[in-house]
Amino acid sequence: MNAIALPVALPLLAAFLIPSLNRSVPPLARMIGPATLLACLYIVLDLALSAEVPVSVAMGGFLPPLGINFYGDQVALMFAALVAAACLLLWPWGVGQDGQEQDIRIHSLYLLLAASASGLALSGDLFNIYVFYELVSVASFGLVAARNTGACFIASFRYLTLSALGTVLALSGIALVYSQTGTLNLAQLSLLAPDTLNNPMGLAAFALILIGVGVKAELFPVNAWVPEVYATTTVRVTALLAGLVSKIAVLVIVRALVLVFPGEEARALMMVLGMLGVFAGEFSAWRATDFNRMLAYSSIGQLGMVLVAFSIPGDAGLLAGLALALHHLIVKPGLFLLADQWAGALSRLQGRAWGGTSQMFAALLFVLFALSLVGVPPLPGFWAKLQLVLALVAQQSALSHLALAVILLATVVEANYLFRFSVSLFGSQQGSSQGGGSLLKLADSALLGLVLIAAAIFITPLADGLQTMATEMADVALYTNTVLEPNDMAAGEVGAGQ
Amino acid sequence: MMDQLSTLFSAGIDLKAVLLLAAVGLIAIGAAGMVLSRDLFRIVLALAIAEAGANLMLVIAGYRFDAVAPILTGSTTDQLMVDPVPQAMVLTAIVIGVGIQAFALSVVVRIKQTYGTLDMRELRLLMTAEIDTEAAVPAQAGQDAPLGDRPIPAPGMNPMTSTRGGEGKP
Repeated sequence: MNAIALPVALPLLAAFLIPSLNRSVPPLARMIGPATLLACLYIVLDLALSAEVPVSVAMGGFLPPLGINFYGDQVALMFAALVAAACLLLWPWGVGQDGQEQDIRIHSLYLLLAASASGLALSGDLFNIYVFYELVSVASFGLVAARNTGACFIASFRYLTLSALGTVLALSGIALVYSQTGTLNLAQLSLLAPDTLNNPMGLAAFALILIGVGVKAELFPVNAWVPEVYATTTVRVTALLAGLVSKIAVLVIVRALVLVFPGEEARALMMVLGMLGVFAGEFSAWRATDFNRMLAYSSIGQLGMVLVAFSIPGDAGLLAGLALALHHLIVKPGLFLLADQWAGALSRLQGRAWGGTSQMFAALLFVLFALSLVGVPPLPGFWAKLQLVLALVAQQSALSHLALAVILLATVVEANYLFRFSVSLFGSQQGSSQGGGSLLKLADSALLGLVLIAAAIFITPLADGLQTMATEMADVALYTNTVLEPNDMAAGEVGAGQ
Repeated sequence: MMDQLSTLFSAGIDLKAVLLLAAVGLIAIGAAGMVLSRDLFRIVLALAIAEAGANLMLVIAGYRFDAVAPILTGSTTDQLMVDPVPQAMVLTAIVIGVGIQAFALSVVVRIKQTYGTLDMRELRLLMTAEIDTEAAVPAQAGQDAPLGDRPIPAPGMNPMTSTRGGEGKP
């Protein structure tokens, strides 16, 4: 059971070993990162398949609510596995974007990010979440600045200031929660919340935490960093931030919303901010003139859609949110990885599909991802959006109907700019062909495309699995019982700890 | 000192409310400074002020004026103790805050070395210009200026002639 701490502990250990190992045995230092992530992936999958989930593990034998616990339900374990898998897939293998040997310190930052992101997914304590969130932030600042160009230092600084301001707000939100309840354990908070946080103070605390954590989740008023950072840093880091880190932040917000702030106003606030994000993101993407920034703005719109979905009460909303989040986690890194060869003005990419086999393959991959992102039937994007639309229709409120209108309008806009670009890819070739490039470079993007097609084929079992996850996540009583009423196994561990 | 303060505020003013107000004020001052300052170093200082506000808020969350410091001295008298949890958390938050500020300052040093200026507005324009050049899109004159050929130039027109930054990176 205690193995649940290893996805956090192992990468941290490896991250700090790498610099010293690199002095003595450089090849081993280069191997240790991927090996650690593989081990984490194995540990998490082993836990998810063998143990009876959900499981709560008290750190050091101090039982919650006094001690700090890790809570692993299906959703948390799935995201912990996704952290390891995504970091492996987007690992800086060997060469960087500019063809130079990668700095080994980037490996450390990747591992720090993996450790803290798994911690965010698993943690059951609000302050612990704050600490892991700060670790994620620092690792991502470092990764953004690692490309060593002037523009990416400026982008990194602007990202840092916005993120640090968000952290200050989130920390004061946590202070408000503590002053009202006297605890930060999520399970105990969920018991106390109906009495103590169902008031304007609770709403203020949620708003502060939402805005604070929302910086990473590309939430509407605090997403100015998104286009700057995604346009300046390396594509792999961009894919990691847009695909993985944003989803982990959303997961934190949803945990807080479901367990601690189940009020109507909190959901309405999140839905309004989500809608504004959809609106701002999709229209900015329509207006964008280069590949990276088009994808960055579109990512803001997609994340807004995910937040709208999660703000719908009940497990219908959670199901739609999970489906959209997972879909975006696969599609957006796939699209950003194409930017390795396609960075630059959209107009320059006209007719790029005819520039050789690999270019044609890349163009076909783009079309596949674009179709799924818009939501064309056989692909999983359609199913995810359908869940969102169904959940919104089932809600009998003016706000959710407005959200429905915004989502449908955004889909039209999204279809317009993605298809416009797809058509221009296959248009008549302009200027000199910059084709070429090896098929091998597209391997990771193609892998994500394969996952997408597999998801389309196995949509029925996938839907059942997500439904179970959503039901489990919405069950507050299950969460509190698992954490606060230790079963025999947890009691045995206390004995072992002493 | 604390006794004097308490007597000072005993005339109907709640000391805790004053401290809470001060914490919110510090956060507001810090946030305003971060948004309004042009100098990168001032932005980092404003961040430090905002963090101090948040930390003060966290300390107040568990503080009691009628209690002693949470240290077990072995005395058997039943005395109220201040909640130690927020104080432990504040220590963590301060350390994290210092780390973030150190990182911010190191980035500021790199920016100064690269561009020779610390003016945020100037740097933002430089960064946007650099991104535009790398992406080979025409530099945008401003938020209000018309964008020109939108979205993609009509077929038959050479897109390269309209770019300012030349070929850019392949």
